[in-house]
Amino acid sequence: MRSLLAFLAAMVVVLLLRSTLLSPFAARGIVLDVLAFATVFWALRHGAAWGATFGFMVGLAADLDATHWMGRHALVLTVVGYAIGRLARTVERESVRTHLVLLAIATALHQAWVVPFELGGFVGLGSGWPYLLGRVFIGALATSLAGAVVLFVARRLFGKSVFGNALVHSG
Amino acid sequence: MGGFLPPAERRSGALVALYVASSLLLLAAGERVPQVTLRGIGATLFAPLDRIIMSVDRVTASWRENRELHQRVAALELENTRLRSLEAENRALREPLGLPGYQGPSLGPGEILALTGEPYAASATLSAGARQGVRVGDAAVTSAGLVGRIGEVYPGLSRIVLLTDPNAAVACEVESTGVLGVLRFDATPRPRLVLTSVPFADTVRVGQRVLTSGLSLRYPRGIPVGHITRVGASEGGLTQEIEIEPAARLTRMRYAFVIPGPSDARITP
Repeated sequence: MRSLLAFLAAMVVVLLLRSTLLSPFAARGIVLDVLAFATVFWALRHGAAWGATFGFMVGLAADLDATHWMGRHALVLTVVGYAIGRLARTVERESVRTHLVLLAIATALHQAWVVPFELGGFVGLGSGWPYLLGRVFIGALATSLAGAVVLFVARRLFGKSVFGNALVHSG
Repeated sequence: MGGFLPPAERRSGALVALYVASSLLLLAAGERVPQVTLRGIGATLFAPLDRIIMSVDRVTASWRENRELHQRVAALELENTRLRSLEAENRALREPLGLPGYQGPSLGPGEILALTGEPYAASATLSAGARQGVRVGDAAVTSAGLVGRIGEVYPGLSRIVLLTDPNAAVACEVESTGVLGVLRFDATPRPRLVLTSVPFADTVRVGQRVLTSGLSLRYPRGIPVGHITRVGASEGGLTQEIEIEPAARLTRMRYAFVIPGPSDARITP
């Protein structure tokens, strides 16, 4: 029950951050991809099944909030959550370098998938590819740096590992 | 954290396949999926939390805003006095000509609780809904100008479809010249508002103001929309492509006002 509440609380916090405090940054072109960050965090902490579940649920909520193209966030975040969850068994989960790389890859994938929808599909990519590249590059850079800092600070504050040995029954 | 999820990797693969299939199905179904009710429940659940977070943000800005607003009130009081005398003069001049008097729109205020969309907001949650008399199709404005229209209405909340929504279109005219066009959002090659369908025969200049036109069924005439920042040719080369900077700050709104649309123009979004 506690874990389910934590799951729901994390989803609420992520969606609130996205629609309130982070939206001014996004408007200035700096997309701090909190959806990708939270999915990576959850997948690293709880493994592939929970990572995919979190990615799907939070993606679905973001899709519902966005009015158009239901399923676009859910699809890519499911895949990201699953892939990172699978990697969680083989990578050094507490390493800052791991956080930087995984967050950058997850954000790049997420942005590269969702932006073409905003550009009107493959037709829009013809003239919009510089914009797409900018979104992917800036988003990946900003999210990986900010995310790694957040995880580093969290580890310092709590004085123990963020991911610990939670990956036990994750699948 | 194993909980109800299957532990074996084989089964977690099946779970992921289910999620992926569901996502693809939703993408394929598109707008046919009934989302309004779900969005309404979500907006209602999140509204108190949105209020708390936004209030923290607003408290920090309130001191500076308070000073600015006092100055603005003083300036508006002076302007109001001048306008009242002009209105009296206007009425006196219109009466002999048999022209109808001007009826100002009634404004319903609301607080912007959340903005949705990355990197540009495409919709906003407003703290006024059906109970406050808000209806689908009403125009939403700030003190600076038009921000969009009401797309969905819930009991105590509503959702504004902003000018930056890919499906939004507003019939506009250039102030003083009366040049007509349709304002749309264009994401390529970069996100911007563009006044389309303006023939080359019409002369427009950078800096001119753009207002809602009388051709619009949804919006009252004369609401400021923005000003012209660039004039060029459209991709096909048949019409002008005019970039508009919005009058309202669409990414940093705190309050908005709802202008009831004409009663015979209740159009589904």
